[in-house]
Amino acid sequence: MTLEATSANTAPLTEENTALTETTDQGAAPATSSPAAVPAQTARLQQAVTVLNRLSSAVRSQVLGRDDVIELAIIALIADGHVLLEDFPGSGKTTLAKALGEAIVTPLQEQADDVAAAIVPFRRIQFTPDLLPSDVTGGSVFDTSTNSFHFRHGPLFAHVVLADEINRTSPKVQSAMLEAMGEKQVTVDNTTYHLDKLFFVIATQNPLDLVGTYPLPTPQLDRFLFKITMKHIERDAELDVLDTYKTRRDHSQQRIQVTRSDVLMAREVIDMEVVIARAIKTALVDISRNLRSDERVLQGNSTRSMVLLLPALQVLAALRGRSFVSAEDIETLLPRVLGHRVELAPGVADLGKVLHDCMRDPLEQLARATLQ
Amino acid sequence: MTIHNAKQDSVLNQLLPSSLRAAIIASSYWVLSLSLTSPSGSVAAFVGCLFSCYLIDGLVNRPPLRDLRLSVIAITTLLILCAGIFLSSVITSSLTVASLLSPLLTYEIGEVLQWFLFAAALTALLRILAHRTGYGRVVEILFVATAFVITLAAHRQGMIHRPFFIGDYALTRGIDPSSILMAMGCGAVLAMAGLLMMENNHRRLPYHFTVLGLLCFSLLAYVQLFGMPSPRLTDDMGLTGVARGEGSAAEQENPFRDGENDASDKEAPVAIVLFRDDYEPAGGSYYFRESAYTEFNGSMLAVTDRDDLDEDLITHFPPVRADIEEPLPLLDKRQAVRTTIGLLAPHRTPFGLDTPVAFQNTPNPNNLRFKQTYDAYSMVPLLEFPDLIGRSAGDPGWTPAQRQAYLELPDDPRYRELADTILQDLRPGYADDPYAKALAIKDYLDRNGIYSLKNEHAYAEDPAASFLFGDLTGYCMHFSFAATYMYRSIGIPARVGIGYSVPASNRAGGSSLLIQAINGHAWPEIFLDGVGWVIVDPAPGRTLVDMSVDPQNSLQQLLGDMLRDEAAFDEFISSQQDEPFPLTVLLQTLVAALLVTLLAAYTVKIYRLRAPQFADPALRYRLSYRATLDMLSALGQRRRYGESREAFARRLSTMTPSFATMTASHLYAALGPSGSVPEGIQAQPRLPPTPDWLALQSRIRAEIGSHTPWWRRVLAFLDPFAWLKTH
Repeated sequence: MTLEATSANTAPLTEENTALTETTDQGAAPATSSPAAVPAQTARLQQAVTVLNRLSSAVRSQVLGRDDVIELAIIALIADGHVLLEDFPGSGKTTLAKALGEAIVTPLQEQADDVAAAIVPFRRIQFTPDLLPSDVTGGSVFDTSTNSFHFRHGPLFAHVVLADEINRTSPKVQSAMLEAMGEKQVTVDNTTYHLDKLFFVIATQNPLDLVGTYPLPTPQLDRFLFKITMKHIERDAELDVLDTYKTRRDHSQQRIQVTRSDVLMAREVIDMEVVIARAIKTALVDISRNLRSDERVLQGNSTRSMVLLLPALQVLAALRGRSFVSAEDIETLLPRVLGHRVELAPGVADLGKVLHDCMRDPLEQLARATLQ
Repeated sequence: MTIHNAKQDSVLNQLLPSSLRAAIIASSYWVLSLSLTSPSGSVAAFVGCLFSCYLIDGLVNRPPLRDLRLSVIAITTLLILCAGIFLSSVITSSLTVASLLSPLLTYEIGEVLQWFLFAAALTALLRILAHRTGYGRVVEILFVATAFVITLAAHRQGMIHRPFFIGDYALTRGIDPSSILMAMGCGAVLAMAGLLMMENNHRRLPYHFTVLGLLCFSLLAYVQLFGMPSPRLTDDMGLTGVARGEGSAAEQENPFRDGENDASDKEAPVAIVLFRDDYEPAGGSYYFRESAYTEFNGSMLAVTDRDDLDEDLITHFPPVRADIEEPLPLLDKRQAVRTTIGLLAPHRTPFGLDTPVAFQNTPNPNNLRFKQTYDAYSMVPLLEFPDLIGRSAGDPGWTPAQRQAYLELPDDPRYRELADTILQDLRPGYADDPYAKALAIKDYLDRNGIYSLKNEHAYAEDPAASFLFGDLTGYCMHFSFAATYMYRSIGIPARVGIGYSVPASNRAGGSSLLIQAINGHAWPEIFLDGVGWVIVDPAPGRTLVDMSVDPQNSLQQLLGDMLRDEAAFDEFISSQQDEPFPLTVLLQTLVAALLVTLLAAYTVKIYRLRAPQFADPALRYRLSYRATLDMLSALGQRRRYGESREAFARRLSTMTPSFATMTASHLYAALGPSGSVPEGIQAQPRLPPTPDWLALQSRIRAEIGSHTPWWRRVLAFLDPFAWLKTH
């Protein structure tokens, strides 16, 4: 699926969410004004969605014309996944990651323990071939005053980490990243240090400039929830970027912010309250099986990809004002999730078509299941 | 000024080909209708076609016609066509109209109506097809070609004399039918070429037509100068004479044929005879006399057209019944036999078992099989030798002219000489007895003659003399002519009887007798006073041809049953068919099944629409949504395969915004949290989104109603199977 389709899907829903936010803010709304208002969400869920919307508007105020990417990034953040961006330099990746990281603040009373104190909102790592794992994770440093080693936190200890040009570094560093992304921990000198619960990686790679790179191994690719291929933003949006550059730079302090605990709360609430019906899971399994048995597909998707997908579906459903996952959520997210996981047979180029073919029957069964 | 001219030019450019095309198609209707209807019907077809052509060409791009679907137009035109046929049959079958006007006028009105509507409807369909589709023009051209081909097909292979309408028209007016046929053919070619050329370039049209016209003209000139190709000989019309018009019987054909008597079709059935009375011929053969060569015309014997000769024969089929007035002597020695004869090949005159006294037409049980059926009443002679011996030759009551005619023969003394030579050996007791003399001469021919179909006498001046004084090799015609001449030379009135002679063994015990082509025969007859015509048939002892045929007992039986028109024949036919196909039963079953299906479909439809009102409220999310989907499906709005319910609802959001609400509620009920709350979280009251499903449903119905035209709603209301496509 192409990005246009995704943006077409998300655009009206974003508006809807805004409407929902306003409804919550005003506290009263006619019951039948909006179609989506009928199967209402619980107050907790609405609260969680409000948090997401605030986060979203915080990032959108900084990054213009990338609403679809922001939406996906926030879904991945809440769904406890990571995002791989394929993009050209200077297209706003860093801005996006920085805005996302800085929108999440930790109130002072929460910074009690040591680990939390060491965690910063945002870190950026530029991956180069001569980078070492300890440059990423941190390392033991000899303290002459205490005559002992103590651990110095590396850049991974942050809410949001931007791993720029991740394919340029050596496999050694990539494997360190692998552990961090998969287990949310780093191990240095046989000591395991836990990363923050919100640990979220936005990795990028340049789709064209491939000389001297180490292509990401499949297991590491499998750890990214989404791989997002971005195109250049719209003309008007680009003009807006230039127009409002100064304003955004100067008023960066008055940003909307959410607290870390809010985000964690949203994650927990959405996980508990958004229902995934058995029919939905059946459809997912059927789609996977179809993909694996399709002769145009060399290697199908892993079971892990489906497991990773479930929370993302929940987040999207919540963002769309629902308390249950629906077929539309699958339609929107599945191409994002499977794009970098499915390997096509030689000569087959159009993953979108393969996916469409494999999704048709299970989704039809899913739609029919509601009448049975 | 120039603009005005250009406009006029374009109108002319459009009108000219349109008119030409209309004229060509209309002429094809005219040709097609010629053979099927009265002249006024043909004119109506012509006018109807023109009317329809101009109407369609003018309106095809205007709103009412432009917006209609092709299938709708096709159904409409077919309906008009059927309506024409129906109206016409109503008018012609109604007694009131016929008595108000005259029957003929009623018929004409019916024809005019039927053909006008037929031509108009069909042309409209063809024109619209031609305007809208690529293949339409081909269909149109094919139609024109077919119309000409159907009409002219009867005259294929140069068959201009066959009695068909065009030929008839020309022949009754003394015109050579070939010119008319050629003219029609040329017309067809011009029409076709015109239609084909009209498809692109109009400017060179006159040039093309000139060339074509020249071509046709040269063809006509060729035919006028050198004539038409002669028709292929068709000899499948029977052997003993083709049915012809009046007066043609006088044309004498040469009865002798050299080598043309190939026995290839000797088994062809000619007639079937049903014996109504019991009769077995004494001589071993049944003789059926059709005609006789009596009158000597200077070169040979021929069928007479004199009234005073052969009064025991009739020359034409009687309209009802014909009795032979000639008094029949020796009635106590005759047996009345009635036979029913069905002709399988056309004959000039009726024939009957020896000495027929009356012919009567009978109803033809199967006019596809039998050319003609009639009863022949015969008084069959049961004469023994003593009955015939000792009688004088000829009838004393004959006028000298009659007697002279029966005694005329070629001016050849050899007949008398040969007869005298043969009769020298006759016993003195019989020396003056005509019958004995006749038998002696027959005996001579029996002993000396050789039966053969390969002979070379036909083109001699007198074929009989060539045979008798030559190699004595010939067939029945030679024998009978030779014998007749000899009888006449010694003063015995004689003639050549023509007809069929069938061996008695062929009857094989049944009551029917098959006459085959091989049974065609000629034999000499002499007239004895007090007896009448007596057959003295020479039977040559030696033969060069095998004239035996396989007995066709089953065919004989079959045709006999058919002629008898008894149930046995129908039984036979039905026994030949394996399983008579019960079409009516099948149709009734189909109709019943269709009705039951419709009833069931409507029942299910109504049940599904009404079910939400009576159902458990907990199930309404499903039933009410299904009822709404049924409603939309009847309007042609269905979820595409693989499309999600939300996407479908979005697609319909302009028509019915409430449907999105209903879809969301439905999905919440179907996929959302069920009644059992997982452990660990509670206290938060789940908002049970139970909207008023029925109110929602009626709101959607109202929204749909305001967005769809009334006829669409009527169709949706009537559609019995819409619910089948709901999912």
